[in-house]
Amino acid sequence: MIINSLLCCFLLFLQLAATHPIDPADTVYYSDSGFVEFTSSVPMHSFSGKSEQLNGMIDFEENIIDFYIDLTTLKTGIGKRDRDMYQTLNTEEHPFAEFTGSFEAPSPIPDQRTKVTAIGEFTINGVTKEVEVQGFIEPNEEGLLLEAKWSLLLSDYDIEPPGILFYRVDDTQEIRIQLVLKPTSRQELTAENETGA
Amino acid sequence: MISVTANAQLPRERAQTDGPIENTFWATTNIGISTVQNVDKHNLESSVMHTFGLVRGGIDTFYGLDDGANTKIGLDYGISNKFSVGISRMTFNKVVDLRGKYNILRQTRSGSVTVDLAIKSSLGISTLSGVGLGFNERLSYFTSVMIARKSDRMSLQLTPMIAHFNAPVAGNPHQLFGLGVLTSYELNNRLALSAEYLPVIGQRNAFSKDALAVALNINTGGHVFQLFLASSQWHNEQYIMANNRDAFWKGEFRFGFNIHRVFGSGGD
Repeated sequence: MIINSLLCCFLLFLQLAATHPIDPADTVYYSDSGFVEFTSSVPMHSFSGKSEQLNGMIDFEENIIDFYIDLTTLKTGIGKRDRDMYQTLNTEEHPFAEFTGSFEAPSPIPDQRTKVTAIGEFTINGVTKEVEVQGFIEPNEEGLLLEAKWSLLLSDYDIEPPGILFYRVDDTQEIRIQLVLKPTSRQELTAENETGA
Repeated sequence: MISVTANAQLPRERAQTDGPIENTFWATTNIGISTVQNVDKHNLESSVMHTFGLVRGGIDTFYGLDDGANTKIGLDYGISNKFSVGISRMTFNKVVDLRGKYNILRQTRSGSVTVDLAIKSSLGISTLSGVGLGFNERLSYFTSVMIARKSDRMSLQLTPMIAHFNAPVAGNPHQLFGLGVLTSYELNNRLALSAEYLPVIGQRNAFSKDALAVALNINTGGHVFQLFLASSQWHNEQYIMANNRDAFWKGEFRFGFNIHRVFGSGGD
């Protein structure tokens, strides 16, 4: 009888733990499968490279935004061009492009599509610049949908646009990201990262 | 000001901690000899190759450019990242070449695999008209094993090869063996020097000489241009072994250039 009661209590506890909402103060929004696309122009045509391995984390409580991508996951559809791109971006030495910053105006988790501005440091090829990026955050069934677009100049990051004479990749690159960040317990994420590391 | 500490960042993790060494050579052909470099899956490589007359013809022949070119136009398609098939057509003997290349091993960044290993086989069909040859007599076969290693900016490849001609000129052997020695040195991301030497081992065709070539490679990001000086005016390996009659070191070399361009063709 006592054992049955204890078992019931235990099962009830498990059910409550599973359905209990995550403590907002302990919640960060995280994804390791975000979409990123860059578009490059060369005379008379343009091409794009894509990856679905953008890692991102937003911590509204601490007002922290952190994103990074392994640049070797970017694919343009032509293997040789990918290899040339990795060489141009110096991925052997600097494999990541990363952004760490915060919202210009800290706010609670948005409950509708909201325009946001992030200010932070963007690093690629080992060169870091302060940037301002505008985007939108929109709640959905899984968490938060984040979309953002901005341009960067390769020359700002000591990257020489590939090409010869007048036939060169344009200095300006258009970047677009889109990802669904799922609510995750900060402790869980830390533990996951510690285990994964 | 940004008040983010390093502790607030996600730990940076590589998607792949190991993988093949890239760009062992910049194109599927070094100058005249195939490299371990293959065409990626669903990519199409087009190549145009030209070799002219001997440079020592001087200004009268505009250093060989007036003597007419042996031109080869080819297409290679990546069935997978390891296997490609190709077709080309060369001016001399109007040879149509059907070929396949397979990468057995790829040298890895971690050093777990120390060399690239690939195999190439091809069938040459002379389509020259008016010479009274039957179909079988027009055929030649070629197989090579390519073993390469890249260290920093320097690549080296050894290519033992065998060629078989169904109907060689009287007195010449049916089979020829050779050992291609290829090298490439990257000056930077855009320029590389390369060279290749192809001695025939054992029996050889009358008057034939071992072939040598040196090249400057220019990578524009879209194209690879190879500007070279070569003893042989021929293109496919079996024909270089069989028909080169010029000795580079005696000043018998010619200007030539190759243009390689890779296209995506959809798919992943």
